[in-house]
Amino acid sequence: MDCNWQTNFFILSKNFYQPMSTVHKGLTITVTLDEEKIPYVNGLLFEYRKDLSIYQEKYHKSLPSTFFISWLTLPAQTYAGKEKLPARIILMSSYVGSKSSHIQELATFLGPQIKQVLSQSREYPKNDLDKPGLVSFLKRKSIPNTFYSGFKFISTTEVDKEKKLKAEVWKYAQGLADQGDPSSPKEVKEKIENFVKNHPQLVWASKKIPYGLSNKVHMLWPLALFGLVMLTSLVSIVLCFFIDPLVIKILACILPLFILVVVFLFLLLRLNENISHEPSPELSDEKVREIVALETNPVINEMTVIAPLKRGWIRRVFLALTLKLVGLVSYFAYIPTVHTARWLQMDKGKRLVFIANFDNLSEAYAHDFVDSERRSMNMAVIFSHAFGFPATRWLVHKQYNHRSNYMKGVRAHQKVTQFWYTCQQDLSVENLKRNRAFRAGLYKEMDDPEIKDWLLTL
Amino acid sequence: MTTLEKDDIQGLLIRGHGNLSSASYLLYTFTDPAKARVFLQEIVPKVTTASEKPEEQALQIALTYEGLAFLKLPPALLNSFCREFKEGMTELQRQFILGDTGENAPQNWTWGEKNIHLMLMVFGKDLEKLESTLSQIKILTASFQVELLHTLPTGMLHARKEHFGFRDDISRPIIRELLKEVPGDTAGTFPAGEFIMGYKNLYDEYAPSPTVPEALDKEGELPHHPDDATLKDLGKNGTYLVFRQMEQKVHAFWQYMQAQSSDKASAIALASKMVGRWPDGSPLTLCPNQPDPNLSEANDFGFWKEDKAGLKCPIGSHIRRTNPRDHLVTENTQKDSTEMAAKHRMIRKGRPYGPPVTPELKPEDMLDSIEDDRERGLHFICMVTDIRRQFEFVQNNWVNFHKFGGLENDADPIIGNHYQHESRKTNEFSIPKYPVRRKLDHLPNFTIIKGGAYFFFPGIRALQYMANHD
Repeated sequence: MDCNWQTNFFILSKNFYQPMSTVHKGLTITVTLDEEKIPYVNGLLFEYRKDLSIYQEKYHKSLPSTFFISWLTLPAQTYAGKEKLPARIILMSSYVGSKSSHIQELATFLGPQIKQVLSQSREYPKNDLDKPGLVSFLKRKSIPNTFYSGFKFISTTEVDKEKKLKAEVWKYAQGLADQGDPSSPKEVKEKIENFVKNHPQLVWASKKIPYGLSNKVHMLWPLALFGLVMLTSLVSIVLCFFIDPLVIKILACILPLFILVVVFLFLLLRLNENISHEPSPELSDEKVREIVALETNPVINEMTVIAPLKRGWIRRVFLALTLKLVGLVSYFAYIPTVHTARWLQMDKGKRLVFIANFDNLSEAYAHDFVDSERRSMNMAVIFSHAFGFPATRWLVHKQYNHRSNYMKGVRAHQKVTQFWYTCQQDLSVENLKRNRAFRAGLYKEMDDPEIKDWLLTL
Repeated sequence: MTTLEKDDIQGLLIRGHGNLSSASYLLYTFTDPAKARVFLQEIVPKVTTASEKPEEQALQIALTYEGLAFLKLPPALLNSFCREFKEGMTELQRQFILGDTGENAPQNWTWGEKNIHLMLMVFGKDLEKLESTLSQIKILTASFQVELLHTLPTGMLHARKEHFGFRDDISRPIIRELLKEVPGDTAGTFPAGEFIMGYKNLYDEYAPSPTVPEALDKEGELPHHPDDATLKDLGKNGTYLVFRQMEQKVHAFWQYMQAQSSDKASAIALASKMVGRWPDGSPLTLCPNQPDPNLSEANDFGFWKEDKAGLKCPIGSHIRRTNPRDHLVTENTQKDSTEMAAKHRMIRKGRPYGPPVTPELKPEDMLDSIEDDRERGLHFICMVTDIRRQFEFVQNNWVNFHKFGGLENDADPIIGNHYQHESRKTNEFSIPKYPVRRKLDHLPNFTIIKGGAYFFFPGIRALQYMANHD
C-alpha cells in the first residue's frame, strides 16, 4: 500500500486536479454486502483509519479535490416492519471540481483499499479490475444526492493559502497599529493591498478569485430553468385567453399540473401522517459511547444517520420530490457550523441517508436543528419521513415531544463511521468563510465603513 | 398558569438563601444501605422546602448516582437517569466534553472520587448558627455511619463580588411560574421545566426525568409521569445539581493584566474586556469607555444591535460565551440567536470560598497586592433539568470551544482551559478594534478545577421514596 502511495501521489495533482469550477459536490458510492462480512469489512476500514492517522500528509497531497471521506458499513435494516433492507458498504466523499477527476483521484490513490473493501460485495466483478475498470465500476455504483456546502467555492488548496494570507496580513497590520499609524481606512487598505502585491508568497491573492460567475451559474441554472419553465407556463395561461396554438396550451398546463401534483401529494401525506407514530427504540448507553468515542477531533467531526422511511409509498415519493427541490435552492441554504452535508435515498427510496461534517461535537450540532423554530420546521421537511423521527401535521407542524423525538431519532439511527478523512482539521466553517471574505475584499472598491467591517475579518 | 408545588421543592432551587451568609457543603459516603435509608428518613423532615423563607438556617440534600445505587434503588429507576449523571463528571467522555484536561484533569482534583454519595448543603444566618447546625448534623451522621469525606466551607464576599473583583450573578434566569402575573413579553423568563423536573420546558415538553415503574411505588408516594401513566415520576420537583470547585488564581490574573498594560486603568479595562462587564458590574456593551454605577445591575441589553462586531464587548468575552443573549455569530438572525441562546441557560447558586485578596476586592488594590499561598475560588453550582443540553453544552460549545464565534484559538478568557499543543491552541484572546484586532497570547489558566460531581437534587416526596424503599 505504501509503495502505491509513493508512486502515485506525486503525479496526481498534475494529471487529475484541473477543476473547471470550484463548486462543492458529494459523491456517494454503495454496494450491498452479506451481513456476515460486516465484521471483516469493519476491520479493514478501521485499519485504514489507523493508516490515515500516520499518513495524513500523503492523503492531503494525493487527494487534492477531496474535502471529506466517510466510509462505513451499514447493517441490514427493516422497512415498514417487514421488508429487510440489505446491509451495505457506503463510500461518501465531499469534493470540489469535476466528478470524473475526483473518481480518478480516488481510484489512483485509494484504489487498492477500495478494491479490497468493495470486492467483499457480490456486486463486485469476479475478475480483478484495472484502474479504468475500477473507475467505471465506481461511476456505475454512484448514486445522486442533495448536497450542501457551508463554505462554497473554496478549493482545498485555497483553504491553506487563504489561512496563510490572513495570518501574514494580520502581522503586517499589527505592525502598522504598533507604530500608531494614523492612516485613514482607505490608506490602510491600500497599504495592505500593496503588501500583498509585493509579497512573493502572497501575490497570488492579488488576482481575481477564479470561477466567480461560472460557479454561480453552475449552481443556479437548474433553479433558473425550473423558474423559467414555471414562469413560461404562467405567461402561457394568460396567453391562452388571447391566442390558441397547441404549444401554448401544453405550456399552460405545466404550472397547474405541478401545483395539482403537489397538492395531491400533500393530501396523501396528510393521510399517512394519521398512522400512529412509532418512536425509535432508544439507543443503549453503550452504543452511544461507541459512537461518541470516535468524536475526538478538536474542531471538525462527522455524523452519519441512516434510517428506513416510515411506511407508505407517499413518504418515498414525497421525500424524493423534496430532495430535488432542496437541491434546487441549496445555493441559498444555510446551516450553521456545517462544512458539508448530504441527503439521499437508497434501496428504492426506502432509506434516508444523511451525513454531515460539522464543527465540534454531534450533541452540539444536533441542537442547531431543534433550538430554532424555523430550522426545526425546515428539518422536518426531510426528517419527518424517516422512521422514529417526530410525527408532524402537514409536513412541518410539530407534534408533542418533537424535540426529544428528534434527538432520539438522530441517535437511534446514527452509525459508526469506520473510516473518516478530512483534508484539514483546524479551521471551522466560520474561519473558512472569514478567510475567504478577507481575500474577496482585497482590491475591491469600498467606502470607509465597509473597509472597517472588512478589517474585522482579519 | 401552572402552580409550582413549593412544599415538594427544595428551597435552594428557587431562592439562594442570600440572607444566610454562612454556609458549608459537606460530602459524605454511606457505609450501609439500610442505615443510609434510615438516615434519610431522619434527615428528610429537616430539609428546607421552597415554601419556607428561612431566617436562621437551611438544609438541602443532593445525591450522586453512586449514592442512589448504594441505596439499592431498583435498576429500572437507576437506569432512567440521564447518561451524563450515570457516568459522572470524571468519566472520560465527560472529561473531554467539559475540557477537564491538563491542569484541570480529575487526577489533579482534591475531590470528585466515586465514593461520594451524598452532599448536605448547610446554611446559617451567621457562623455561630451554622456551627450549631453542623454539630447536630455531625451527631446524626455519626449515628448512621454516614462518613464525612470533605467539608467545603463557603461564604459571601464584599458587594456580591467574586474573587477577581467583579460583581457576580447579575444575569439570572427568572422562572415564569414564580411571577405573580404572566409577562406580556416573556423574554428573560423561562418555563419552570428548564430548571425543575415535572414541568414543561422551552420546547413545550416535560423535562426529562427519572422514573419508577408504577408497581415499584407500593406506598403511592410519587406522582404519575405526565407522559406515561405506567410510570411514576421520581424527578418531579427535583433537578440535577452540577457542582464544580474552581480555584481562582487571582494574583496570576491581575499580574497578566498588568504585564499587558501600560497602567492600572488599562489593566482594569483589559480585564473588563475579558469579562464583558466592568468590575462594578456595568456592561461594556452599554458603557464601553468607563463604568457606569447606574448600570451595575443592568441585564436588559443585547449584542445584536448594540455590538454585533464585538467592538465594545469582545465576541470571546466571558459573558458573551456563557450567555450570548441575542447574538450568535453562526446565526443569521437575531430571532434564531435568541432562541438558540435561551435553550442553554442555567440557574446558578454558587458561592465563593477562601479569603479575599483585599477586603473590598478593588482591582486597584489587588494590582498592588502581594501573592500569598491561600486558596480561593468559587463553588460553582448550577441547576438544570438537562445536564447535556444546558451545562455541558455551554461548557463545551461556548466556554471551551476555541473556534467559538469565528475565533481561532480562544477559549473563554476567564474560565476556559488555556493550553497549546500540536493539534490545538486555546490560549489566545482577541479584542476586535480598528485597524486590526488585538491578540493576546499565552493566557495562563486563571481558574483551575479542584473538584466536581453531578448530583440529583430531589423533591421531598422523591427523598421520602428513597428513604422508605426496601
